[in-house]
Amino acid sequence: MRQSPRGRSPFSLLSRRRRLLAGAAALSLGLLTACGGDGDDGSDGGGPTLEVWIMEGTNPDAEPYVEALEAAFGEETGALLDVQFIQWADAHDRFTTAMAGGELPDVAEIGTTWAAEFGAAGALADLSGSIDEAGLGDDLVPGLIDAATVDGSVYGMPWYAGIRSLMYRADVFAEHDLQPPTTWDELREVALRLRDLEPDMIPFPVSGGSEYGLYPFIWGAGGEIAERDGDGWRSTINSPEAVEGIEFYTSLATEDGLSVAAAETWLETDQLESFQNGQAAMVVNGNWTVNTLIQADPAWAEQVGVVPLPGQESGFSPSFVGGSLLGEFTSDEPELAWRLIEMMTTGELAAQWADQSGYFPGQQSLLEEVQGEEEPLVAPFARQMLEAGAALPVTELYGQVQGEQIVQGMLQRILSGDQSPQEAADEAAAAMDETFGG
Amino acid sequence: MAADPRKAGPAAPRARAARRAAWARASRPWLLLAPALAVLAVLLFWPLVRVLLLSFQDYGLRQINTGESNYTGLDNYREILGDSFLWTTVLPNTVGFAATCVTLTVVVGTLVALLLQRLGRAWRAICSTAIMMAWAMPAVTGTYVWIWVFDPLNGVVSGGLDGLGLIEPRETNWFTDRWSFYAIATLNVVHHGFPFVAITVYAALLTIPRELPEAATVDGANAWQRFWHLTVPTIRPVFMVVTILSIIWDFKVFAQIYLMPGGAGANPDVLNLGVWSYIESFSRNQYGLGSAIAVLLTLLLLAITVVYVRALSKESDEGDAP
Repeated sequence: MRQSPRGRSPFSLLSRRRRLLAGAAALSLGLLTACGGDGDDGSDGGGPTLEVWIMEGTNPDAEPYVEALEAAFGEETGALLDVQFIQWADAHDRFTTAMAGGELPDVAEIGTTWAAEFGAAGALADLSGSIDEAGLGDDLVPGLIDAATVDGSVYGMPWYAGIRSLMYRADVFAEHDLQPPTTWDELREVALRLRDLEPDMIPFPVSGGSEYGLYPFIWGAGGEIAERDGDGWRSTINSPEAVEGIEFYTSLATEDGLSVAAAETWLETDQLESFQNGQAAMVVNGNWTVNTLIQADPAWAEQVGVVPLPGQESGFSPSFVGGSLLGEFTSDEPELAWRLIEMMTTGELAAQWADQSGYFPGQQSLLEEVQGEEEPLVAPFARQMLEAGAALPVTELYGQVQGEQIVQGMLQRILSGDQSPQEAADEAAAAMDETFGG
Repeated sequence: MAADPRKAGPAAPRARAARRAAWARASRPWLLLAPALAVLAVLLFWPLVRVLLLSFQDYGLRQINTGESNYTGLDNYREILGDSFLWTTVLPNTVGFAATCVTLTVVVGTLVALLLQRLGRAWRAICSTAIMMAWAMPAVTGTYVWIWVFDPLNGVVSGGLDGLGLIEPRETNWFTDRWSFYAIATLNVVHHGFPFVAITVYAALLTIPRELPEAATVDGANAWQRFWHLTVPTIRPVFMVVTILSIIWDFKVFAQIYLMPGGAGANPDVLNLGVWSYIESFSRNQYGLGSAIAVLLTLLLLAITVVYVRALSKESDEGDAP
């Protein structure tokens, strides 16, 4: 457009305008297509391609596993895999946006609590038929399969599991000749002794931001978080048993001074950090963190001890069985998708994944094998899972309760002294019921 | 750009040519704007319309998955406006926090600008580099730094106060109380926001002719009088811009609250409109309700901005009158 702007005929002006128009259109189109430029890339092979999403970081070095999986799957079915790693932190948002955009993968790893949620939304396929056909139904870790089962439909196949137990500083305990607790009273006593013996340490941090540290005490006292009530759910977190558990757990901080005020807003990761930097003496944390500790400093292998969470009078307090399921997001190739899920969740590849990631396999028989090896930092967790594992209320509404952080809010109000355990539990129950009812 | 008047021809074609030329003249700016407008329409206007449409629906995961709509009229707005939580907690938090932050940001920014004006070349460079770094720090990073600074157990502030014997770190947690929580958030937001005000006001100060303050000094005006009666009226438009921008930024603060301990919903006392909207939408999957909160926040901002701009322009009209 180097022409002088003056003195041209309407004709050239017209063509100029056209050029401008075309230019503008091309520009906008270019921008539009640049935004939406995603075609099918897997067009090189012969067979179909399955898109698979796996969470990043569970397995520190996942490449060899993925290669083995691709090879085995390709050999058996001739299909290709497009494996993508996504971050736990934004995975939930990724799934919802993919849902909105119709870009869901064929098979994906999902958190146990999402099965009910995405299942109710109609995004996940029911796998119960395939599981029965394969005869796998009886060999799945109960806490995991329970979490995936809604009204007889199974929205995910247990892949790997994790559980929290009581981790303690074995070296400190040995130095003072202390024994890890086996009942709640012993837990309080040993923590009180630690408070006197090791004044710079935090005997037992009670983290306000971690709901999973509290649940064992609710379940251990015989309480429940919520129960089925006809078609819906009703919170029972303010029942006498549940409140007894809440009271015991929080009194360790509020009455016995076994925690610190900072822990009122700690998340589980902050609690682990305080254990790792030598401040906390006992924490409720997951089996996967043992690997993290030892990887950071091999000396931890000698310093950390694990026991199942002590029961109120005897036995163990149940702990939440967390972990991952493999779900099929209504794939175009349901048979291939199931074949892949089966391959990943059973047998050699499942054991390999669990071993590499520091988690437990979701198959009961494989889990028993792990327990049989009697590894001191693994077996107590496995025992907790087999003998005292529990599931959260299986409803997509409990996902909302967690999203609202109702339990954490309750904990923080008790720990900061704003409310008594009963008051806070009543308020939490009311908030949960509002969510269940809405 | 009318047709050449020397080329006298029949009247009708000439008029047509003139019309065509006029149309071309009127449409050309729009044509040139078209690409930018198209991008804006796709990236900004369409999402806005979608949020507005969503706010009239009961929209959850099921609707996201199937793409169907589920209009419920004004139900979401009724639910929010009828919720005492909005009036006793969220709105006071949002408005009070924004008002405090805007005031502090503008005051501190202006003071720093006045300081910059008085400094020598070297010190000015050092000083502006330092404040630019506060500005350049991403909000997320900055928030984590402040959390660390105020960490009750291992932070520098509690360490210092402990050293003076003022607090017992094991019994201190500033994040659980609404007031101390927001005091830390205010520090964070003001620290992040004042450099912009300082740099902008400093640039404006440079445009004031040197003769004006000199004349005022000769007339016997003191420093405060010179600032209030001379500097402020001269650069009023700049103050208007930085204040409006600060209001907009401070009303929709999200990361600085959400990332603080307890700020993501565990402590409902500290929620503001932005975080509340996010929690309703993405933690509870109630996208309709979350959108309605977002719409309310937008309307609130629009109202404040309009009132503020009108008041200021009226004031400056009066000020300009002889």
